[in-house]
Amino acid sequence: MSVLQVTTILVALAYYGYAHATLNELASGVAPQSPVFLSNLGSYYTLNLLSAFPESLDVSNYCIELLAIFGKRYSTYANCLVSAARPVKVCENCYESYGELGEIYKNISSDQMGPGNESCRTSLLHSDRLMLVVQLYNNIEGIWAASECKSCVSLELHSLTNDTLYFMETLNQSLGCFEKYQQSNQTELCKDCKATYKRLNELYSRMERNHTLCIDIEDSMNITRRLWSKTFNCSFPRAETVPVIAVSSFMLFLPVIFYLSSFLHSEQKKRKLIHPKRAKSNTSFMNIQDKLS
Amino acid sequence: MANITKKVSWTSRGDDAVAGEETPLLNGSEEVRYTRQLSGVGGMFHIGRLSTVDLEEDVTSDEDSPKGRPNEIPHNEKLLSLKFESLDYDNSENQLFLEEERRMSYMGFRCLEISRWVICGLIGFLTGLIACCIDIAVENLAGVKYFVVKENIEKFTEAGGLSISLILWAVLNSSFVMVGAITVAFIEPIAAGSGIPQIKCYLNGVKVPRVVRLKTLVVKVFGVICSVAGGLAVGKEGPMIHSGAVVAAGVSQGRSTSLKKDFKIFEYFRRDTEKRDFVSAGAAAGVSAAFGAPVGGVLFSLEEGASFWNQMLTWRIFFASMISTFTLNFFLSIYNKKPGDLSSPGLINFGRFESDSVAYNLYEIPLFIVMGAIGGLLGALFNKLNYWLTIFRIRYVHRPCLQVMEAMLVAAVTATVSFVMIYTSNDCQPLGPDQSEEYPLQLFCADGEYNSMASAFFNTPERSVRNLFHNPAGSYNWETLGVFTVTYFFLACWTYGLAVSAGVFIPSLLIGAAWGRLFGILLATITSSGSIWADPGKYALIGAAAQLGGIVRMTLSLTVIMVEATGNVTYGLPIMLVLMTAKIVGDYFVEGLYDIHIKLQSVPFLHWDAPATSHWLTAREVMGAPVTCFKRLEKVGTIVDVLSNTSTNHNGFPVVASMSVSDEPGKICGLILRSQLIVLLKHKVFVELARSRLTHRKLQLKDFRDAYPRFPPIQSIHVSQDERECVMDLSEFMNPTPYTVPQETSLPRVFKLFRALGLRHLVVVDHENRVVGLVTRKDLARYHLGKHGLEELQLAQT
Repeated sequence: MSVLQVTTILVALAYYGYAHATLNELASGVAPQSPVFLSNLGSYYTLNLLSAFPESLDVSNYCIELLAIFGKRYSTYANCLVSAARPVKVCENCYESYGELGEIYKNISSDQMGPGNESCRTSLLHSDRLMLVVQLYNNIEGIWAASECKSCVSLELHSLTNDTLYFMETLNQSLGCFEKYQQSNQTELCKDCKATYKRLNELYSRMERNHTLCIDIEDSMNITRRLWSKTFNCSFPRAETVPVIAVSSFMLFLPVIFYLSSFLHSEQKKRKLIHPKRAKSNTSFMNIQDKLS
Repeated sequence: MANITKKVSWTSRGDDAVAGEETPLLNGSEEVRYTRQLSGVGGMFHIGRLSTVDLEEDVTSDEDSPKGRPNEIPHNEKLLSLKFESLDYDNSENQLFLEEERRMSYMGFRCLEISRWVICGLIGFLTGLIACCIDIAVENLAGVKYFVVKENIEKFTEAGGLSISLILWAVLNSSFVMVGAITVAFIEPIAAGSGIPQIKCYLNGVKVPRVVRLKTLVVKVFGVICSVAGGLAVGKEGPMIHSGAVVAAGVSQGRSTSLKKDFKIFEYFRRDTEKRDFVSAGAAAGVSAAFGAPVGGVLFSLEEGASFWNQMLTWRIFFASMISTFTLNFFLSIYNKKPGDLSSPGLINFGRFESDSVAYNLYEIPLFIVMGAIGGLLGALFNKLNYWLTIFRIRYVHRPCLQVMEAMLVAAVTATVSFVMIYTSNDCQPLGPDQSEEYPLQLFCADGEYNSMASAFFNTPERSVRNLFHNPAGSYNWETLGVFTVTYFFLACWTYGLAVSAGVFIPSLLIGAAWGRLFGILLATITSSGSIWADPGKYALIGAAAQLGGIVRMTLSLTVIMVEATGNVTYGLPIMLVLMTAKIVGDYFVEGLYDIHIKLQSVPFLHWDAPATSHWLTAREVMGAPVTCFKRLEKVGTIVDVLSNTSTNHNGFPVVASMSVSDEPGKICGLILRSQLIVLLKHKVFVELARSRLTHRKLQLKDFRDAYPRFPPIQSIHVSQDERECVMDLSEFMNPTPYTVPQETSLPRVFKLFRALGLRHLVVVDHENRVVGLVTRKDLARYHLGKHGLEELQLAQT
């Protein structure tokens, strides 16, 4: 899971760099919808020197502006994601910048006309084969969907949900307890923090059933569980081997008794042989043997 | 009436009371002491019956076997049971039949054809519905059980006292199985097992008593639900085939004799010929519902019943199969609250093998063949162990209460072994994000992890198979898989043959998937760079195919079933190679599991071919002789006596022209069946009565069909002393053109006729067309190729 996350973020980073390059080129006035797709490098530069396309054919200033804002917010969000990658805090830390990014993208992609009676939708989103803005945004959307942040953040992306906050609080209690006993004896830790840890666990499983988990909660729970089980070694010990062995060996012994007793006491089923009437010639088995040999 | 007795001239010969006459018979060098006692006392006239007894005594005293040879032997595989009879697949073209055909209009035939299609559709629909019911019931019952046990285990992991969970699990399992075993053992024992051997016999042409009754179906379905929910190492796929067959037999007859309800439809189909065609459609529909493999189902019927086949029937069977899998799919989609999403075509769903990692390379094919050989070896071991166990069961565990106890013990031990395995396992795996584990057990694993052994044991077998196929690499340790394979192998082997209805398909697949996955893991560790191509799921699939092929030894149909179940045609070649190898390797040691069970049930089963070295055997040596014949005009008393003779329970009687003065058998002019005679006796179709009552309704073919399939026993038909003196004219009812062969025909030729035409009786005649013997199924089935050449099976009363 976490590996996947990291790779996606890396991919996002790559796109992010790409986006910067695009923006720079935009600034230098290269038309995004250059008709010469397959032109060689030389002609590309010639085109570049030939200055921009006429204003009317190119992207309007308004749209360029939108695009710039999109780029800024995009980089903010990507930065936030990377910094919150481990331990995962992508929902908690970055939901605001995601909201802003989504807003500007909605502006770009909406049919609503800007000044000059034009929509940026076609000019920015669907004018070329690459459709870079769409790809970038889809990628971000993919990360958002995979992280399931939707379940932890309120609908309008203003705040974390109450469930999440409550979980954080419970988590902090547990972690605090761990910290308190960390120096002292670990058996004591297992005993004294059990209540808070158990409460945390129950809360977690309740949220799991309600499908209100996001990657932040899952990850922090994973870390806590690992602390509890592996670092502090508070899992259940295999304590009562003797009764289990006793009961199971008793069970395994039963069939032996059953088969022995049925072998000894049950009368064997006999079959009565019937001799069919035959023309008495070479039918008997002995004769077959003779004939074969 | 006395004058009638006189009219039939040959009865006067009864006064001679010939005894112990020696006749040169069968133009062979040996002379047979052919004893015929004819006595006219009280109109009693025995042909062949008394002579049987005499002949038998002669044989035993003449043979080199000692006089005190025991007539009772312990049950073994080299017996043929008397309780099995042939189906009458051959159409009796008697005058009634011809008349009916003449009466039937062109439209009538069209309607018949249409109703055949309707019946096939109904068969498919009902089979799919039954599969759906079984699936839902098992899922819910097993769900409740696993939920309760899981809660319990979780509680006691913390508080201590896991032995109580163990007991709870064992008791739950046993009680489910007890219910199932009681219904099977006490109500309908034929419903035990997977039912595939029985259906195989039925399609082969053997009438297995009670196998296609409604009661059997009910017990079967109920028993399957109980045994799968009871956590036995069994599957619910095999019984589907039996269920489909019963549905077909029931629907096509338009009535249920068990419920005593006659819908007065489909009356034309009330004979063995038609019924068996529908039963093969039902079996195909069952396979199709079980595996989501309509073509596999058709091929299963083809493989098992191939001797009687026509193209139109194939097409109809395919129709039934398709309808069946569609019905199951449709209703399951409704159950899963996704109506119209047709994604679960069968009871077992292998999941999709479509990603790139499961594609195979040319250099993997030798590996697959090696796996096939392993599967063949393991399958042979499985069959051999099960064979010994089954013999023990037949000999010693034959009382119903003992059978129920055994089943309960197996259930308890299965739970115990599973529990101990889970308890001692140290293989912990992190919980996946997609919740592929339905009942993850944590036990002593760290929080957030589950016990990997539990995902194999603490699950319905279908689920475990799918986990083994599709869980990502690294979900199982190799120790877990090894231990699981060994335990499950023995558990499954022990379970098959219990008095519960359950199949062996899924356990085989599970064993194979486990060791196949193990094979894949080992391969990946050996070739450290090759971890990419050695996807364990792919090897699990191949292992499953190899194991299943090694146990059941089906060929074409199994290949297609597996390919269809995986939904990936590119696996056709590896699966075929694996199944071929498994069959070749396995056959070297022991037969397939179903064949073993057919043998152990002493069924006269005709294999694809006659034994290889049997050309020197001729019909003369194979046939039963002397034959009990009737004359065209036969006295009722004689017929009743012959029919009610319990020692020779014959079913077909050649009808001969009146005998000449000597004891030579008469010329053949027809063949009449016991069932026909019984119907004739019941309706009192006597020559004298017909003459006295001119308005007497003429007997029609319908009267024979109404009595089908449970003809009353002869004892229930009352014939008064006066009526015994009457005469019956058989010429109208007998089959006037029975198949005959000369005495010198070799066994393989006779065998081919039997297989290809589905015969029940084959009359052996001499060069003058006189009846000298009669070949039946048991006469042919008793020869088989053993370790020491050709061996002969013995007839026994079971």
